[in-house]
Amino acid sequence: MKVRKSYLLLASVTVWILLGRLLHGKNTLQIDTYENTSFTSFVGQKALDLRGNRTESPAFIYFFNPIRGAIDGFVQGIRNLIAVPAPNSVIPVIGWLGVVGLIAFAVYATSQWRTALLSVSLLLACGALGMWQFTMDSIAMTLAAVLLSLAVGIPLGIWAGLSNRVLKILTPFLDLAQILPTLVYMAPIALVFMIGAASATIATMIYSIPIAIRITSHAIRSLNRSPVEAAESMGSTQKQLLTKVQIPMAKQMIVLGINQTVMAAVSFVVIAALIGAPGLGKPVIEALIIRNVGQGFVAGFAVVFLAILLDRSTSAAAKRQDSFIPPTQKQIKTKRITLIIAGILAVVSVFISRTVLWAAVWPKEVTIAPQVAKVTNNVTGWILENLTIFTVGFKDLISYSILNPLESQLSASPWYVTVAMIVALALIIAGTRTAILAFVLAMAIVLSGLWYEAMLTLTQTIVGCLLTMIIGLALGIWTGRNDRAERVLRPFLDAGQTLPAFVYLVPMLGLFGPTRFTAIATGIVYAIPVVVKIVCEGIRAVPQALIEAATAAGSTTRQIITKVQLPAAKKTILLATNQGLIYVLAVVVIGGFVGAGGLGYLVIVGNSKPELQGKGLIAGGAILLLGVIFDRIMQAGARRSS
Amino acid sequence: MKSLFGRRSAIVTVVIAAALILSGCSKSVNDSAGGASGDCGSWTIAMHAWGGYTASAQVVTEVAKQELGCTITQTTLDEGPTTYDAMEAGTIDVIIEDWGGGRWKDWTDRGAVVEAGENGNVGIIGMYVAPWMVEKYPDITDSKNLNKYATLFKTADSGGKGAWFEGPAGYTTIGEKMVAANKLNFKVIFSGSEAALVDGFLNAEKNKTPFIGYAWQPWTLHSKLPTLEAARVKFPANDWSDPAKASGLTDYPSTPLIKLISKKLNDANDPFTSLVKNFKWTNADQNGVAADLENGMTAEEAAKKWIAANTATVNSWLGK
Repeated sequence: MKVRKSYLLLASVTVWILLGRLLHGKNTLQIDTYENTSFTSFVGQKALDLRGNRTESPAFIYFFNPIRGAIDGFVQGIRNLIAVPAPNSVIPVIGWLGVVGLIAFAVYATSQWRTALLSVSLLLACGALGMWQFTMDSIAMTLAAVLLSLAVGIPLGIWAGLSNRVLKILTPFLDLAQILPTLVYMAPIALVFMIGAASATIATMIYSIPIAIRITSHAIRSLNRSPVEAAESMGSTQKQLLTKVQIPMAKQMIVLGINQTVMAAVSFVVIAALIGAPGLGKPVIEALIIRNVGQGFVAGFAVVFLAILLDRSTSAAAKRQDSFIPPTQKQIKTKRITLIIAGILAVVSVFISRTVLWAAVWPKEVTIAPQVAKVTNNVTGWILENLTIFTVGFKDLISYSILNPLESQLSASPWYVTVAMIVALALIIAGTRTAILAFVLAMAIVLSGLWYEAMLTLTQTIVGCLLTMIIGLALGIWTGRNDRAERVLRPFLDAGQTLPAFVYLVPMLGLFGPTRFTAIATGIVYAIPVVVKIVCEGIRAVPQALIEAATAAGSTTRQIITKVQLPAAKKTILLATNQGLIYVLAVVVIGGFVGAGGLGYLVIVGNSKPELQGKGLIAGGAILLLGVIFDRIMQAGARRSS
Repeated sequence: MKSLFGRRSAIVTVVIAAALILSGCSKSVNDSAGGASGDCGSWTIAMHAWGGYTASAQVVTEVAKQELGCTITQTTLDEGPTTYDAMEAGTIDVIIEDWGGGRWKDWTDRGAVVEAGENGNVGIIGMYVAPWMVEKYPDITDSKNLNKYATLFKTADSGGKGAWFEGPAGYTTIGEKMVAANKLNFKVIFSGSEAALVDGFLNAEKNKTPFIGYAWQPWTLHSKLPTLEAARVKFPANDWSDPAKASGLTDYPSTPLIKLISKKLNDANDPFTSLVKNFKWTNADQNGVAADLENGMTAEEAAKKWIAANTATVNSWLGK
């Protein structure tokens, strides 16, 4: 059965290539970028009407505008507290010293003094990078988005944890939200809620609510049954069961969910700036526009510090509830006393930050930003000076050997040939149901009129995923087999996951110029950490007994990897590939900013040219459809392979 | 465990409550800071990302602050619809330089945005080759000869044709139409950002590699590549007497740059309203300030320097 499957795959690819060659350049559905189809101009007109209606239509007056106003007010309130001057004032309600004091105290109260110390140094580092106000703005935005996400996500999660029907209804939406490339849904949100903090908060929530729901429902579902049954048998009501047994027992995992929700919201900090979020995203995006690598990195470091700060403080709070050794009476007493002292210090710091100017506004003189910017500019300058020959050579090599042939195959073949190919692949890998879904979605792209651009994006995604998997598998196997390698690589992977892609888009532009490869390279850097982590876990999960048996039978290391570990981890590797594809796709579309063209460029151009707005919105939809096709095929393939 | 947690929450609550109460009633540094003086209100000016825009916006800001005592906030955001929406929402009041030849129509039609006249700058957009090429291939600046050199411009990304680097997404671009109308053997590559173009021109000039890309005047790149203007490719001019019919778009028209203001500012009849409406200067003025910016002066310094040297012009804006 297995052999037949791979033959089938090979055969259909061959047929596809032959047909593509034969019918080269026919029915490619290519239209010029400035051209609209009747469908795109229809959507564009609707979008324009929507903009015009914002002050008149009841849907806006009674629904969207109040929501926007409320969220804007909420965010503004938090910003006034810590970030921007409060009304009738020149400083925020709490100055920087007060914020540092309060955060240190809060972290100390929920975890240990070490974490508190780390938090303080990270905060001070953000200040020293000259990013204090931007950092506070980002904290305010994240806080607002997380609080609202939890307010929606935890109740829904509990509900989905208790009711199978609710879970069934929610699941497709949760899946979709995880595939959704962030660039895609910002335009529609901005259309309804306008550019600004409210739109940015809502966009962030769309990204982070599913995570809160998922983890909460999982927490409720994975509870030990016996306490629940015991409570039931003692005649507890549903409400009692929930509030006295299930929620308290699931608390620790829900706190972990809070941590994940926070991290999701933080990862949105930069891209949200595209729709007007105040905060660290602004200097990052600006650095891209004015091509200032140094400034980009200064702001990027602040984002990483902020992410570490929020991650450590929230995950420490989750871990704290882990401890099974009850503290002694003396420990409790000491902690209580130190807490009170810390609390007094925090209050005093708030007081000082309101009375003395140096403690209220971060002093401009205390900064290492110019030095950091200079060092990064010098380093990237050196790299550009000396490595460009290699990088351009490498780019050309990949372009001529893989990228161009694949692009020509995908974009210059008639659409029906490629659609047939996608359906055939889905049928072989994933089965009939997925094949039907793939057909419907692919036809939707065809009908949208953006098939040609979709093929350009598809090409870049496939090439990016291919390179990601080559590097990711190698590093994943290495870290999976070697603890020390894992320890060395781990910090880089963690940093890579939090450093916003926009930060290294600028140096990539320097290395590869305004080309498709710049987008691909950025996507690779973005996707590698997650792929390495998944592969590493997969390799580690292979039962030790299998490996020992193979070793006893005299297998070499290479044989163990290729014959035992990789086949045993096949499912995980397929899932890693799927994650790789989705991650690369999410970033490749950002490549529209640096010359990659494709659907991403249409989204971007749609944001700035009213006559192409419809096309941009539809391009966003097409990106999503591509993502869903990938995801469904790979997921079904992974399920079948186990 | 439970009691510890309980006590701890109690302490946390007390501290946070104390901090909040404190922040509510303690005397803050604000009281010592004076508010803005004068009868001018407080207004927000959009900041777009190119050097020339910064120059114009900063000069207006400085004049408004110094001469009229206005409170001016500068907010960085994308040009085009993004900013028009913000103006409609009331968060932005002024765009001091807009290139978009009428793309604001939907907003002006419904009165959300008001045209405030030309700012005196004339935008020239065109396709430029890397300046070194003009010396080596003197006839390259005539569009009829471009096809002769098309193979020079070939890259891994241009599919066998010459690579034609188009302007950023928000800018007025008609590259595809120009290529078609002039029957050029070039492929339009959407460079996506100003940064990509700057990179392209500078690298091409440094390494003497061929490059043709979108460029414009006034633009700070001209101070880095002084011979760039001579490298403009001359295309046959369009007949713009009937814009609707100018289908064979063979070249860019020169664009008088427009000022736009919010309805709020227009209705307010503030001293700032008339300053913005009267503001007008030349390409040379803007390039001078932009060059100072490029050479490391802060926007504020550069603007103040220009204002000090051009009091007559400034006075005419103020109606003195």
